[in-house]
Amino acid sequence: MTDLATPPAPPVPPSPPPTRHTARWAGLLILVVAAGLIAVLATRPPATVSEVQNPLVGHASPRISGTTVDGSTFSLPAVPGKFVVVNFFASWCIPCQSEGPNLVQFNFEHQQSGDAQLVSVVFDDSASNARDYQAKLGATWPTLADSGGDLALAFGVRESPSTFLIAPDGRVVAYIVAPVTAADLDQLIARAKATGA
Amino acid sequence: MRSRHFPLWTLLGVALVVALVVGSGLLSSSPPTAAQRASAIESVIRCPTCEDLSVAESSAPTAVTVRATVRQLIAEGRSDQQIEDYLSARYGSSIVLDPPASGWSLLVWVLPVAAGVIAAGLVVAVVARRRRCGTDVLDADVRGPSTDPVALAERRRFLTQSLSDADAEYLAGDLSDADYLSLRQRDLARLAALGPVATSADGPGAVTAGTPGSSELSAVSGATATGTLLDDPDRVAGDVDARVEPSVDLTDRARRRGRNKWFLVAAVGCFAAALALAVPVFSSHRLPGQSATGSIDLSPSQQVQRSLDQAAAVENQDQLGEAAQLYQSILDANPDNEVALAQLGWLEYRIGQQGASTTLLNDARAKLNQAAVLNPGDYAVHLYLGTLLLQLDGNAAEAVAQFTQFLADRPPASVVAQAASVLRQAYLAAGRPIPSQIPTV
Amino acid sequence: MNGTLGHIGVLLGFAGAVVGIVVLGVGLARGRTNTLRGGQVYAPVILLGGLVAVVAMEHALITHDFSLSYVAQNNSRETPWLYSITGLWSALAGSILLWGVVLGGYATAMVWRFRKRAGDELVGWATLVVYVVSAFFFGLMLGPADPFTHVVGAIPADGTGPNSLLQDNPLVLIHPPMLYLGLVGFTLPFAFAIASLITGRLDEDWQGETRRWTLFAWAFLSMGILLGAWWSYQVLGWGGFWGWDPVENAALLPWLVGTAYLHSVMVQQRRGLLRIWNLSLVVAAFSLTILGTFLTRSGVLESVHSFSESTIGPLLLGFFGLVLFTGVGLIAWRGDRLRSAGGIDSPISREGAFLANNLLFVGFAFVVLLGTVFPLLYEALNNGTQVGIGAPYFNRFFVPVGLALLFLMAVAPALPWRKSSVEVMRGRLAVPAAIGVLVVVVCVLAGVHGIEPLLAFGLGAFAAASAGRSLVLSVRGSVRAARVGGASTGRAALSGWRGFVGRANGGMVVHIGVVVVAIGLAAATSYLQRGTLHLAKGQSTTFAGHTVEFVGTRVVTSPSRSSFQAVLRVDGRGMFYPAVTQFGAGTSTVGTPAIDSGWRDDVYLTINNIPQSSSGSGTTTVWTFGVVEQPLVMWLWIGAGLIGFGSILSAIPGRRRRPTDPVSAPVSGVAPPPDPELDRDTGSPDDASDDRLPVGAGDAP
Repeated sequence: MTDLATPPAPPVPPSPPPTRHTARWAGLLILVVAAGLIAVLATRPPATVSEVQNPLVGHASPRISGTTVDGSTFSLPAVPGKFVVVNFFASWCIPCQSEGPNLVQFNFEHQQSGDAQLVSVVFDDSASNARDYQAKLGATWPTLADSGGDLALAFGVRESPSTFLIAPDGRVVAYIVAPVTAADLDQLIARAKATGA
Repeated sequence: MRSRHFPLWTLLGVALVVALVVGSGLLSSSPPTAAQRASAIESVIRCPTCEDLSVAESSAPTAVTVRATVRQLIAEGRSDQQIEDYLSARYGSSIVLDPPASGWSLLVWVLPVAAGVIAAGLVVAVVARRRRCGTDVLDADVRGPSTDPVALAERRRFLTQSLSDADAEYLAGDLSDADYLSLRQRDLARLAALGPVATSADGPGAVTAGTPGSSELSAVSGATATGTLLDDPDRVAGDVDARVEPSVDLTDRARRRGRNKWFLVAAVGCFAAALALAVPVFSSHRLPGQSATGSIDLSPSQQVQRSLDQAAAVENQDQLGEAAQLYQSILDANPDNEVALAQLGWLEYRIGQQGASTTLLNDARAKLNQAAVLNPGDYAVHLYLGTLLLQLDGNAAEAVAQFTQFLADRPPASVVAQAASVLRQAYLAAGRPIPSQIPTV
Repeated sequence: MNGTLGHIGVLLGFAGAVVGIVVLGVGLARGRTNTLRGGQVYAPVILLGGLVAVVAMEHALITHDFSLSYVAQNNSRETPWLYSITGLWSALAGSILLWGVVLGGYATAMVWRFRKRAGDELVGWATLVVYVVSAFFFGLMLGPADPFTHVVGAIPADGTGPNSLLQDNPLVLIHPPMLYLGLVGFTLPFAFAIASLITGRLDEDWQGETRRWTLFAWAFLSMGILLGAWWSYQVLGWGGFWGWDPVENAALLPWLVGTAYLHSVMVQQRRGLLRIWNLSLVVAAFSLTILGTFLTRSGVLESVHSFSESTIGPLLLGFFGLVLFTGVGLIAWRGDRLRSAGGIDSPISREGAFLANNLLFVGFAFVVLLGTVFPLLYEALNNGTQVGIGAPYFNRFFVPVGLALLFLMAVAPALPWRKSSVEVMRGRLAVPAAIGVLVVVVCVLAGVHGIEPLLAFGLGAFAAASAGRSLVLSVRGSVRAARVGGASTGRAALSGWRGFVGRANGGMVVHIGVVVVAIGLAAATSYLQRGTLHLAKGQSTTFAGHTVEFVGTRVVTSPSRSSFQAVLRVDGRGMFYPAVTQFGAGTSTVGTPAIDSGWRDDVYLTINNIPQSSSGSGTTTVWTFGVVEQPLVMWLWIGAGLIGFGSILSAIPGRRRRPTDPVSAPVSGVAPPPDPELDRDTGSPDDASDDRLPVGAGDAP
């Protein structure tokens, strides 16, 4: 052992500097970051049901007008004066098929009271297929063909079925990306009325 | 050896820089065209109904709609950012494949760059600290000499191994004289700084401080206990001068080499920085029709061929007027291009027929005749001429003459099938037997 | 019966792992070597259990036993036998089974390899870790990922068949097993790393001993990733082969870290440095395989490749946490006491180059990880709003990192260990650098534009020439060694083959393969042209220098699929059939591309739009085809083959050399006679044998 009082020929530092704990601090840092990452990952919902928010909600809706699958034209004013339910669908889309009868029911209920208008728009499908599908369903409301996809782009539709609820003053108040029931829509309309739409 | 290579490297450097400058299009850059802008924007917009694909890559109907919208907005004069905002306002911000450089998502740009800077900084700091602390003390010993005999023994083993490594490397020619000397001096100093060896507790393989070579070392090189390998007669032949006055001469040379090295490092660093700036700047321009960073130049004949292809594609889409314009522009540049001539003649015939314009029809006839003269072996010209003669002039006999030549030119069966009805008409009208090549309609 | 047999197999595997853990635990706690030896026998038990389960499942798939719900969902009576076999790994539960059986295989191989040292505490700890991982995966199969559950209710008459995209191409037979052989293989170095940390025995060369295993796993992972890219290219229809998809990234992350590790472990073997760093890399690589498994199977990220979501997500995440905390915790606890004795002498040395290589690979892995999970982080921080991160983000970092790595690949093979100088390097790299610059100049003269591809071509040529130089030197060294050893000139020349095998030389072949892949990648992504063709039957058009003629259509039916094909003739020579295919009745159709592969470029054809049979207009209806022309795509697959070939060469032991022989040294044991005309730099590259003497072992074992 070296004698600190009289250092021998090989130079020795006078006092040992404090030991480094690089591995310890680095490890701790990594563990903290990893814990955060795991917490985030653990609390994520599955991607297929996570809410894709639509930026239109709360803003004015695009103009709803165009050619229907029967060849006639249909158009709504910018301030429709009643609630409008816009439903984007495709004939090959399975959730849309389960949703169809619900829409029929909704349309029947509100056609008489006249406070809500249902409009369907073809998304990612051919007009002839959609026409056959609607005919089989017994749909009596207008179905817009949207052959160029412009209406879908205006609404920012990424999948079918997508349903928008538009208040009488033209604002979009709700966006549902799953199959809807008539009760769902009624609830949304009631809520919108209550909040002063 | 050094002076022999220096001009070569300068030459290589200059050639590389010149080639890169020319190849990057720096000299001929112009503001991006509408098509380039459209391509660039389309490659950063996600296809709404796909996963992972951009609208440039996808053929889904929604992607087609978005592409059309982008082009329309460009035509209206909106900027790239405005177009991205337009689409984000409808689809949500996740429609853009590039995260915005604002808010929380700034992190995703900053973190990698910060990590890189920190890593580079750490490396530089370690290197600088080692230089500053001098090379007498082993890095691990900066913390203070360990009194742990196991750690001490391990360090001795490491240094001894390093010494014999260095000798072997030098023997084989991998280490230069100066490097070998400096490494050797440093490791010897460190070995000495570990202090005198304790007793047999260190185990086999330990080395006493006074002998800088292990038995293994001697076996390899035949070095004596006190000398270095520089005096070793078995060493592979090298610089004789180095053996005479190693310490003085080598230090001086080492200093010069040090300066040259820093100069070279600075030059390479500037070059790398220039590249790092140039690459993102010049790779952002997309050339027409490509989602790419570059293009390949075509020779003149390839360019003509490409223009012909373009025109044919447009003609396929039944945009006759546009196709005619394209062919005309080819002809303006290459008056003797008989393919353009023939196609333009045919187009003029069709347009003339639609609009019943005699001037066009006459011009069509003239062009087709000229084309036939230029290239008698082209089946298309004869088909066109024959059709014109039959339908316009009602001259079945001449038409049949043309059609016979057409068939003799060995046209593909699909073309014959397409023209079958006209052919039969002509032969029947001229009272000639229908050749077997023509399929029954 | 299949279900029962399968359950027995899974239980056997699980029980074997658990009992093995207990036995080894007792042996390690009490320090009894005999108990440790006894604990080794459970690895073959795990493998046996896995094999029994695999046999049961394959039997069920081939005989279309629809009493198992897995078979009912992934098989049907019309499924061809090939896709029945691959049904084993086509869905989540089966993929866990494949993982389990591969892990059992690796465990058995490890136990066999170290059977002579079975009483060693370190081997005992490593085997224990492997048993724990096996217990986890077999445990998953007992619970949420059970492949042998019975169908609820009546047994269906016919199953729904595999996913359409998974029965489109025979590559489904090769890609997943290779990928798993790679991913699972990283368990072994991880086990040894944990064992080294726990026992504190870091100065022995366990990393070197398991080098071949790591190389084996890495090679299969590389092949798996590249085959996956090829498969995507042939099936998905957009003309690309890599989309920076979360599932693709999940396989890429361990590969990046594994490549860094393969390089830096050489520094550890030679100089005993970077020990803590290597341990960290091994822990990171294995943790990333588990994280990747989680991302692929939990459903938190959408991907076209991912499995259906299920409940094993939280379990996998928990296991990831356990692995990471154990590994990092051990390193943090032990690390400072077990540092290497020395440091890197000079930045301009092979050690320095490998360190730079590591920083680049690990840095890029960080970017890929950040980009993949950032959408989730953002969503969590921002209460639901989403952000998109796609290919443009990753490519922006990939290009500079890739170019820097090409440069390193060029410089490093010529760098000696310890220390070098610019003069030495300039001399050695003059010819390769000249070749690189020449390639750039020739490309510019030929009309090639774009700074990124030009740099890629130039640096690639530089790197390939440098690797070629190494190989030439190595071959020459072998020939000379044979002549010195007394062989005749002819036989000596033949023994030059030895210059191609061994770790360093095989590595040079792998580098050449990587350069070929890089050049193909640069050309294909920079010069691709996309377009749409509108053709009626009989029409032809040209695109990007190729003529495409729409000849006609045809329908091809088989019991399992019906395919509506367009017949296209490309360049007047070959016929290609892009199609719209339906697998089984009632499922949606998928588009199938057709590819005309050539040396110069690939023409990629898809059907975009079939015209609806319009109301008897009589005019020729116009079809829409998508076409993508990409140059040099073939080079990607050729490069992949070279990488695989080089890995095999690398595993063949090289000539017996002393481990400390320098880069340019002649063959060990025989010093060449002093030859004044001999140029100093004509030795053969470093090629340490596998029986590396640990630093400080003193006498040979």
